[in-house]
Amino acid sequence: MSSLVLDPITFEVIKHRLWQINDEQGIAIRSISTSTIVVEGNDFNVGLFAANGDLAVAGPYVTSHVTTMDALIKNVIETAGDDVEDGDIFLCNDPYMGALHQNDVAVVSPIFVDGQILLWAGNVVHHADLAGIDEGSFCVNATSVFQEAPRYFLKVVRAGVLCRDVERTFITNSRTPEMVAMDLRAQIGAINVAVKRVRELSDTYGAGVVRDVMTQTIAYSGELLRERIGELPDGTWSTEVFMDGDRVGSDEILTVKLTLTKSGETLHFDYAGSSPQSAGAVNATDYSTYAGTTTPVYAFLCGSEIDWNSSIRKSVTVDAPSGSVVNANYPAAVSICSIGFTWLTAVAATRVIAAMLSESEKYRNRACASWGVACCGNNVFSQGSDGELIGGLLSDHRGAGAGARANQDGIDHAGTVFSPLSYMSNVESQELKFPFLYLFRKRLVDSGGPGRFRGGMTILAAMTPFGTESVTWKSQNTAGSDQSNAAGLEGGYPGAGSQVSVVRNTDVWQTLSQHPTGTDIGAFGGEVIHLETKSEGVLRRGDVFVFHPPGGGGFGDPLDRDPEDVAADVRDGVISLEAAVHNYAVGLSTDGSVDYVETAEQRNARRQISATQPDTSEALRSTSGTPTPTKCPRCGRATEIGKPTRWTSPLSAAGPWLAERWQGNSPNFKLLHTSCTACGSEWDVCEVAAPDDTSPLPAFSKGA
Amino acid sequence: MGYFVGADTGGTFTDLVIISEAGDVRFEKAFSTPHDPSRGVINALGNGASLLEIGVSDLTAQTLRFTHGTTVGTNALIQRKGAKVALLTTEGFEDTTLITRGPMGMNLGIPAVQALDYANAKRPVPIVPAGLIRGVAERIAASGEVITPLDESAVGEMLRELLAQEPESIAVSLLWSFRQGAHEETVKRIIGELSPSMHVSISSEVAPVLGEFERTMTTIVNAYVGPVIDRYISNLRSSLIEMGMRSSLQILKSSGGVTLPERVEREAVGIINSGPIGGLVAARYLGGILGYKNIITSDVGGTSFDVGLIRDGEFEYEQTPALDQGVPARTPAVKVVTVGAGGGSIAWTDGRRLHVGPQSAGSDPGPACYGVGKDPTVTDALVVLGIIDPANFFGGRKQLDMHRATDAIRVAVAEPLGLTVEEAAAGIYEIVTARMGDLVRKVTVESGYDPRDFALLAYGGAGPAHAALYSASLGVKELVVPFTSSVFSAFGCALSDVRFSFVRSEPIVLGSIESADRYDAVFEELEAQALAEFAASGQNANGLTIVRRVDARYKGQLNEMSILVSNSQLVDAGIDSIRTLFEEQYESRFGAGTTSSGVPLEVITFRVDVIQETLKPELKEFPLAGEDAANCLTGTRKLYLKATGAIMASIYDGDRLAPGNRIDGPAVIERRDTTILIPPGHTAVVDGYRNVRIKEAAK
Repeated sequence: MSSLVLDPITFEVIKHRLWQINDEQGIAIRSISTSTIVVEGNDFNVGLFAANGDLAVAGPYVTSHVTTMDALIKNVIETAGDDVEDGDIFLCNDPYMGALHQNDVAVVSPIFVDGQILLWAGNVVHHADLAGIDEGSFCVNATSVFQEAPRYFLKVVRAGVLCRDVERTFITNSRTPEMVAMDLRAQIGAINVAVKRVRELSDTYGAGVVRDVMTQTIAYSGELLRERIGELPDGTWSTEVFMDGDRVGSDEILTVKLTLTKSGETLHFDYAGSSPQSAGAVNATDYSTYAGTTTPVYAFLCGSEIDWNSSIRKSVTVDAPSGSVVNANYPAAVSICSIGFTWLTAVAATRVIAAMLSESEKYRNRACASWGVACCGNNVFSQGSDGELIGGLLSDHRGAGAGARANQDGIDHAGTVFSPLSYMSNVESQELKFPFLYLFRKRLVDSGGPGRFRGGMTILAAMTPFGTESVTWKSQNTAGSDQSNAAGLEGGYPGAGSQVSVVRNTDVWQTLSQHPTGTDIGAFGGEVIHLETKSEGVLRRGDVFVFHPPGGGGFGDPLDRDPEDVAADVRDGVISLEAAVHNYAVGLSTDGSVDYVETAEQRNARRQISATQPDTSEALRSTSGTPTPTKCPRCGRATEIGKPTRWTSPLSAAGPWLAERWQGNSPNFKLLHTSCTACGSEWDVCEVAAPDDTSPLPAFSKGA
Repeated sequence: MGYFVGADTGGTFTDLVIISEAGDVRFEKAFSTPHDPSRGVINALGNGASLLEIGVSDLTAQTLRFTHGTTVGTNALIQRKGAKVALLTTEGFEDTTLITRGPMGMNLGIPAVQALDYANAKRPVPIVPAGLIRGVAERIAASGEVITPLDESAVGEMLRELLAQEPESIAVSLLWSFRQGAHEETVKRIIGELSPSMHVSISSEVAPVLGEFERTMTTIVNAYVGPVIDRYISNLRSSLIEMGMRSSLQILKSSGGVTLPERVEREAVGIINSGPIGGLVAARYLGGILGYKNIITSDVGGTSFDVGLIRDGEFEYEQTPALDQGVPARTPAVKVVTVGAGGGSIAWTDGRRLHVGPQSAGSDPGPACYGVGKDPTVTDALVVLGIIDPANFFGGRKQLDMHRATDAIRVAVAEPLGLTVEEAAAGIYEIVTARMGDLVRKVTVESGYDPRDFALLAYGGAGPAHAALYSASLGVKELVVPFTSSVFSAFGCALSDVRFSFVRSEPIVLGSIESADRYDAVFEELEAQALAEFAASGQNANGLTIVRRVDARYKGQLNEMSILVSNSQLVDAGIDSIRTLFEEQYESRFGAGTTSSGVPLEVITFRVDVIQETLKPELKEFPLAGEDAANCLTGTRKLYLKATGAIMASIYDGDRLAPGNRIDGPAVIERRDTTILIPPGHTAVVDGYRNVRIKEAAK
């Protein structure tokens, strides 16, 4: 039954125009901003909202921003009460009012037509620094919200007149006041564009028609989303993802536990059992948890076919226990949540959604268990020759890989699931801006999780201080130095973790004077220190800073991968020869071609081992979310007869880039394998928190 | 009689325009011949000669200029049929083109909505596979200082191994080579010693600009299509010489200027996507005659809708166009924005909404009315609405099937939505036309302009069937459908100038007197290089115009804005002179109050264009006859538009209309290859150059 009242033609014409108007907001912001975070990272978004604050039209930039903005606009409406007039522009960055975190400043404005609010235009921009205890306002050292950037609720434009006192107060608190001033200009400019264009539109078609199109856009995508959810199988899927280290000096492990229940036309996400809120700044508010959770719903369930807007709230609900890392209580510190627990809610939700989709015949190919699962965020600063502070956020983390899909490999260097338009900077641009010389930036071999379809690769970047005496770093890596979170599905192995390392006292400059340093961390001597996820320190001449964001998980048993694809991956430098043997059991001849006889033998032998592993881990649950099949997908033996066996191995069995701090064998996590006792195929491989009594099995040995 | 000839190869037709010395314009078409496009060009010349009633050898012998727009480069890139390229780059950075700045390699050059399609997203196959990329032992820093000297013997050794893989072309792109080109030049020399006939493209020559990913991609594309274009142009040139042509063959580039056969290999990347640029060259020229310095161009093809801008008589440039999905190029191109909304766009519904596109029936199978495809398209809607006469399409060269059009719309759209076939067709037309208007608006506004300050030029076979409706809502000054509408790019070819472009990145923060000295020195060096190359090309170097541009930004910004600067010394003019130019343009684009007085300006890239105005005919202006067009009236036809429902429209034979004739809407002007809709309330007048000029009647 159609919800449309307007004729479909007028609807389509005006809807496209609204999309265009919103897009013009984005163009204005990108054009005016001086911040790399905005221009290359595209860490902002723009939206048009109904009079009641419902999001109707979202921009294609960072998804979580528009989701938090509709909550925030509703809070602005409530807080402002009667004090809303034509030409007002509000500014709010209060996480406890709906902002993602303090850096993300929302600027929203009611658009009046004939004395009534027709709609709200809004945008959110990540500002480079708004004060707080740490540079960049990602306050790794904060223990409460009072040590973070101030929380503003301001009317920055009153009835069309810029309040200069308000503007100045907002700007002056920043360590980068010029950049903040320009970004605020950009945000106000974007609103002005939207106001002008919406008025023109309403003059042409009438306010009522525009209002109807907004409402019906939301209603229509709601119908489509409910229908789509209705096509999926009912059930529940659970998973756990982890944060290893919540602040500098801590490697405490915190857990996000998530159960998705799909019933009829609704999805319910329940975070019961997640860790209590942290003393660090990584906590998520319930607003940002909703935004993180719905990101993969948009990305994988709606895709490009169903508009991304507030209608999602009707069919997708989220419960997060009060006082937990995913619903922290005031005055918990939250300034890193965007790349802290908000990020991890998206990681967990991506996984359970993938598990659900993998059980749907129709939508199985949309299942993708991981996509940029950690933000390997590194801020670096030094004093320039004239005393100014130079530096900021490095962008190399956007080289992260995506999980494999049910019918194809994961995307290499896919970036983050929050934003398909965030790009890495060129090395040359970085060297112009930062006091570093890059030693190499390369694809990280063996970083894609092994699987029938391989996970996407990530990158490895190394740099050394150049043209300066010292460089200070502050690292706010989401997770990934103890385990990876880069889960696969249906027997696919996890991809690389996310790791920041420092090599002290190298002879890198001696090496460079004759020859490039090669591409190996060990190539220039010195002492390699693998850091915890949150760290800070000082680099001096001859030290090397090196890091890699996460890879993507695999899909399906790697022993089922077409040997020709394995040979091609070796040839293209995607995987090592060792991985071809150890992860894929493929025999290659000296010319690189597949030795089918050898491969068949190796694969049979490997399956034999899997089938006969004693079940050592009855107590451990799968956390990949992969459902246990009722019969073996490979040999067809019913589960009741061919009961699967569960056994563990060190994480290094998945690849050389997991748990590097522990040489691949974390005391805290194991790889849990579930395999068929009849044919030996692996149904599930996942990282699990290891109980103390589990003795690890030997890993397959890896090439370095 | 001498002739100026422009030939433009398109997907279906190869268009030819012949302008006589007396300024008389004639045009013809021949079918394109994708396997050897030069056949199509030669056939078009034959058809053109017949039109003039002279022999083809007479035409070639009397050709004063022959300018060609070719899609050979574009097709080689899009279809991945270029040369086998190997890449040499700085050791440690071999993966730059495989990593592609993260998601950029997948999402650049595709619509945002497609980038949101996470489940099906795919990276394009790299042009140079990992196995053909090698690292060179060397390193230069941002200042140009050599950190690691080039190891020549290692390069030689590595090349010998690489040559065993038989690459046909080698691209060389080292870090910071645009600051210090010595290493690349040495590598080029070594390649030449080991393999004298090898095609070599080095980044410090092809695109000496900041940003290694884009610079390397540009160099690779040049290496990839260079040998293909070179081969094609050499063959075409030989054929033309055999046919008696004495004038030099000139090739249109995406910068809007032409280059010469000797230079196409080196400038190959600049020839890609030059197709639509001919239209802008023609528009600029026509604007000069009609007195318009601000022009919006719009071209509707089978699969795409292209919009371009001319502002103050100048092209808008795009410094890093995406040549294909994930393939950026640092080659200056006249900006043309394309969306997938053309005659072949397919209409569909989910039972609630009416959608048009993004799928297209293209030319194969084509619209339902072509007789093969089943999906209803925009062209089918135009047939159903009475805008296109199925018996008189492409000058009667193609018969359209009205029943198939009607059936397709009825089954796929009208019945599911509970509409009549006419209502559904009117809806399809309305939606796609509104979308065209939205794009025109976006392109204008994005550059900081107001459409009301512009005239709109609509061309391409189907463009003028849509333009009047959306131009009215944009408020443009006037809509002009040029006489050569159906061959407009070829018309532009015949009118283009010789243009050599030189560019170099050298970041300079403007402030001290030294910075001004350095600024002047860079321009002097670039100009010296430009003039030397111009002289070496064998062209007469008289009457050259030199145009300087810089790409500048506020220090700390990421994106530069390209501004036209004066040719005088900065030391004399003062640094504030640049600042004033920059801030004027900045405010016009981003709004008053967006400049930052305290922040220094940083020049990143210097550009010098050497332009030689070519000999051009003066177009003939015909005397105006009376307004009465009754003798060209061929009948009436029922039109159906959303705003009016069914109305009767007068139909005119556009090829017989005389200058001065006036036609009031509702009417349809049918030219051999173009359909022009004059909606109710609009008036069309034929001017002395036989352009149709349409205005909304004063209310």
